[in-house]
Amino acid sequence: MIRPFELHRPTTIAEASGLLMTLPESALYRGGTELLQVMKLGLARFAHLIDLKRIPALHGITTDEAGSIRIAAGTVHHEIERSTAVRAAWPALAELERHVANPRVRSIGSIGGNLCFAEPHSDPAALLLAADARLELEGAAGRRTIAVDDFILGPLESDVAPGELLTAIVLPAPAAGMTLAYRRLALAERPTASVACRLTVLHGVVVEVRLAVGAIGVRPVLATVASAALTGVPVTDLEEAIRVASPLVGQACEVVDEPGASAEYRRHLAGVLAGRAVRAATELMA
Amino acid sequence: MTRRLIETTINGRSHELAVKPNHTLLETLRDQLQLTGAVEGCGVGVCGSCTVLVDGGPVSSCLTLASNAEGREITTIEGLQAADGGLDPVQQAFLEQQAFQCGFCTTGMIMAVKGLLSTYQSPTEAEIRDYLSGNLCRCGTYSAVIAAVQSVVAQVHSDA
Repeated sequence: MIRPFELHRPTTIAEASGLLMTLPESALYRGGTELLQVMKLGLARFAHLIDLKRIPALHGITTDEAGSIRIAAGTVHHEIERSTAVRAAWPALAELERHVANPRVRSIGSIGGNLCFAEPHSDPAALLLAADARLELEGAAGRRTIAVDDFILGPLESDVAPGELLTAIVLPAPAAGMTLAYRRLALAERPTASVACRLTVLHGVVVEVRLAVGAIGVRPVLATVASAALTGVPVTDLEEAIRVASPLVGQACEVVDEPGASAEYRRHLAGVLAGRAVRAATELMA
Repeated sequence: MTRRLIETTINGRSHELAVKPNHTLLETLRDQLQLTGAVEGCGVGVCGSCTVLVDGGPVSSCLTLASNAEGREITTIEGLQAADGGLDPVQQAFLEQQAFQCGFCTTGMIMAVKGLLSTYQSPTEAEIRDYLSGNLCRCGTYSAVIAAVQSVVAQVHSDA
């Protein structure tokens, strides 16, 4: 039984923002796969839920002339998995979406809800961090754009101002020689450790690496030291560089113990998964 | 807390229902419509025993607000049947492969398989395992469930 609340159904972002500002104890609601769960468990209590499903502007995937992909925040996982634009530009995201939670979550859960909830095991958050995606927010104070790294502040904490909504996720077009891969190990539904790698190779040399490690800490982080160890390396010498970089990946953040997976084990997994992600990104090079 | 009047289609029949905002679809199906096939296991969207289809896609009815059914087509286990009025091929395959023991998870498992087969025409074993990984069976009938799905797929292809 969910505690009683009132349901509101705005049809524009401005209307939703206004409701959020004026209604006490209110929360935004899209798929409810996280929100209704915590409400049912009694971990959170809201007097008003603002249903975002009837706001057309929060739905859909578009590509601009420059080739960057804009995913409206309310777009559900299943739709991203099947998007031809996403599959063409960033197949790793489509593949990731095919494995988020379970099909019931994927058919109603949205990518924006996933990011705003900021569950530390989020699959999309780690990949979007590696991809250097930008997040668009809109509220009473106007619009702003923010990097994923600045948006996810900690466990269940994201940088959303009062009355503000996450409206879209923008992935830049892949630059020349750029590929993206995601690897995870999940002992249960949520990943125990995950690593995303954006790799740029020009003339046989790795010119840029963005490794992001997820799930093992309280928020996804960039593994900058490990990424640096892979940068400037000829592709032919990548295996040796991976041996050096792997142990550094788990040093990127404070790793937490969880039931069934010690911090030490998860740190090790991060290194192994980073190697797999780098190899997978290399194999995607045409 | 006011009730809202919603129109929805459940198993091919249109219904007008008065639902409170905090009513879940599962509560409405079971308590208002006496459709007790979907059952509450964990109650928080993890076990899959309350799986029903909304516009063909599987959802946890325990975590879906009843008001979300407005204007949608809901399919529960009670709505399944073959063209000749007998058991749906998935139900028949579960019987033939003995793909259940206590039966608690079975209605949700079958609805998840319906979702699987609407997404994949001929799923591989890996795809079947992956898709059904969110439906838990404490009796451990998983291998029989997979065999049942494979027999449905094989039957569809031999009929084609």
